[in-house]
Amino acid sequence: MLFYTIKRLLALIPTLLAATMLVFLFVHLIPGDPASILLGDTATPEEVAALTRELGLDEPLWTQYLIWLGNVLQGDLGTSVFFGTPVLTVIADGAETSILLATMTMVWIVLFGVPIGIVSAMNKGRWIDQITSGGAMLFASIPTFWLGLYLILLFAVGLGWLPSSGFPSLTDTGGVTNLRYLILPSLTLAAPNAALIIRLVRASMLDVSREDHVRTARAKGLRPSRVAIRHIFRNALISVTAAFGFTFAALVSEAVVTETVFSLPGIGRLVVQSILRRDYPVIQGVILVIVVLYMFINLLVDLAYARLDPRISLK
Amino acid sequence: MTITSWLKTATAAGAFLAIAGAAQAEGVLRYATVGEPPTLDQQVVTSDLATTIAQHVFEGLYTFDSSNSPVPLLAAGETISEDGKTITIALREGVKFHNGQDMTSADVVASLKRWGEFGSRGGLLFEHVESVEATGDHEIRITLSAPFGPWKNLMAFLNGGPAIYPASIVEGAGKEPLSPENYIGTGPYSFNAWEANRYVELVRFDDYVSPEGEADGYGGERVAEFDALRFIPVPDVGTRVSGLRAGDYDYAESIPGDLFAELEGDPNVNTILNGGPLFGLVFMNSSAGPLAENYALRRAIQQAIDKVPALQIAIGPEGLWRSNGSFLPEGNVWYTEAGTEAFSQGDAEGARAAAEAAGYTGEPIKFMVSTNYPFHYDTAIVYTKQLAQAGFNIDLQVYDWATLIEKRSQPDQWDMFFTHHGFVPDPILISVMNDNYPGWWATPEKAELKAAFTASSDPAERVDIWSQIQELIYEQVPTMKTGDVYTYNIASPELDGLGEATLIWPHFWNVSK
Repeated sequence: MLFYTIKRLLALIPTLLAATMLVFLFVHLIPGDPASILLGDTATPEEVAALTRELGLDEPLWTQYLIWLGNVLQGDLGTSVFFGTPVLTVIADGAETSILLATMTMVWIVLFGVPIGIVSAMNKGRWIDQITSGGAMLFASIPTFWLGLYLILLFAVGLGWLPSSGFPSLTDTGGVTNLRYLILPSLTLAAPNAALIIRLVRASMLDVSREDHVRTARAKGLRPSRVAIRHIFRNALISVTAAFGFTFAALVSEAVVTETVFSLPGIGRLVVQSILRRDYPVIQGVILVIVVLYMFINLLVDLAYARLDPRISLK
Repeated sequence: MTITSWLKTATAAGAFLAIAGAAQAEGVLRYATVGEPPTLDQQVVTSDLATTIAQHVFEGLYTFDSSNSPVPLLAAGETISEDGKTITIALREGVKFHNGQDMTSADVVASLKRWGEFGSRGGLLFEHVESVEATGDHEIRITLSAPFGPWKNLMAFLNGGPAIYPASIVEGAGKEPLSPENYIGTGPYSFNAWEANRYVELVRFDDYVSPEGEADGYGGERVAEFDALRFIPVPDVGTRVSGLRAGDYDYAESIPGDLFAELEGDPNVNTILNGGPLFGLVFMNSSAGPLAENYALRRAIQQAIDKVPALQIAIGPEGLWRSNGSFLPEGNVWYTEAGTEAFSQGDAEGARAAAEAAGYTGEPIKFMVSTNYPFHYDTAIVYTKQLAQAGFNIDLQVYDWATLIEKRSQPDQWDMFFTHHGFVPDPILISVMNDNYPGWWATPEKAELKAAFTASSDPAERVDIWSQIQELIYEQVPTMKTGDVYTYNIASPELDGLGEATLIWPHFWNVSK
């Protein structure tokens, strides 16, 4: 297991290199440069050229890439052109919001998605299955910006129970109570994802329920709920686990719309804003972090398989 | 996961809901912005959002009163020599910077010099400046090569203007914006923190020394009533509006026209019109391509367009736009109707004939527009359709703003591009007056009028020359005005002291809740 983990970690290196190289190339292929955006409307071409030199953007692309890579290996992701602060600080700030948001969303998904999926599978074809499956389709189809705005109207404007937008850091005044800012956004994000998990749990459980060991368990006279949880759900967990892993990674990196609607300072909005500002160091830094995150979660999911299913051995 | 662990999770989630009603900060103004400013360094940046925030931190020697006339701010007064070339400005004494230092003439001279060399609008004044020197601890002297009429308006306009910084910070600073740790000014609020994507926070400066006299526009007494001002980026407009209604923000900017009627009728929301309108501009390429030097063809393009339908579609309610051809709005001292009969004709047939007479044979005209500003794009769509009806072959090129900025600096990439212009107190500040602005309008006729315009210090004469320049703009069409757009912001009714309209940028001294 330890040997397997080390091997997998080493295999990350070429993937990382390829990913960073691609990102670097694509980012520099977009027209528009940070210097003229930073200097504004009235800058002369000479002033733009001077700042471009100062930012090191006049070097050939390969040189820029190698310099960047060398700095990254020393733990230095560079300085944001826009904020003037280290990229790592900018990302860490966004990561706090994104990771907390993704975690809270996962809580809702597990809390709603899994039990409803199980109930739906156990009652296949009956009215309760029809309702939950229909509901799941509905929530999977609702655009998050629409749902988000309606949740704001209902819970923030109408009832006044929850804040409408923003997220002060947990280290700000308010401390842990600031998590209330994430309740509406996490519910918004959870709706389509929980709906997908409901469908997935239901489908996986129905697959497993056709297997021989389930028939044996039923023939032994076990209670249906025990068969469902112990014999079906446990086996259905394999595919659901993989989905959890990738849902989490996607929630951290792709929650752009929800972050915009709720004005959350997360990673997704940071990438989009940085692209509009052509803040190359931040774009590269964030993508690097996201790639690492995906690969790490991929690894965790593989390791989890072995725990869940003793038949899978890691070599 | 077992049933008991689900229960645990559910309990934890319940706990979040239970703490949902905690208190919010008192004495803090929360302002929802459309985004983040590029920097707060006023000398080099022309972003309106940057000035909205930074005017609380930095001050110039002059500012504007409610009639848009320049009045002293850090200056105490000035004397001008008879030949109009020597300006001696006395500074207010006892003014303190946020770092505790006294403001002296050394700081003012250093700040003016950096602005003159690197400031966004500094070159306009400093091409006429021979020297700036301290003639006492609290007195400076500016020597001009020739009388220059707009000097005071330029000094009073903080946006891209001469904010006064401590000499220790501004000496050696170049075109690159100052970094946040150097945001030290003399204003009623001092810079506290810039949390990326979260907020920019200013806190009350207890040692602030206010100018005297009744508050009038940006002039007169300034009292910081709030403990702190927080400028929070809220990019989604729906969220800005809901957030204000829910009480999470006290003020929200840049609200679209289609919500105007509804918000005006809402007793829980105050709408505040911005007094200085902004206006769309379609620049034409004077340097290369089919439009360069072909003034008749440009006039034909202008002739084809009816500006009203585009304003109706792009802006909405009648109260928020005006089909006005004068570069400065009605009621302003610079308002003039010279040349404006050509502003909005919508004469497709006449334009077709005029274009043919100008030698146009249907070659594509590259028209760049950005989707970052919806009103740009909406207007450009209407214009493209109108121009097509008059036989023009418009190649509409849609980019994001950063790409458009890069492309427009290359003369061979475009024939027309869409941008907009903020309200300015002196026509010399309008971008088309700058020969180096993309479009590169620099004809001998312009040079002659511009020289006369800046040399004169007589207000009546300057207004008269400006009307001749506006007439020339309608004749040579370096740019085409699309009409005035009055933006509006919304505020909580709990805010006191805001007034009915903002002058240019909303300010929050003398405002409380």
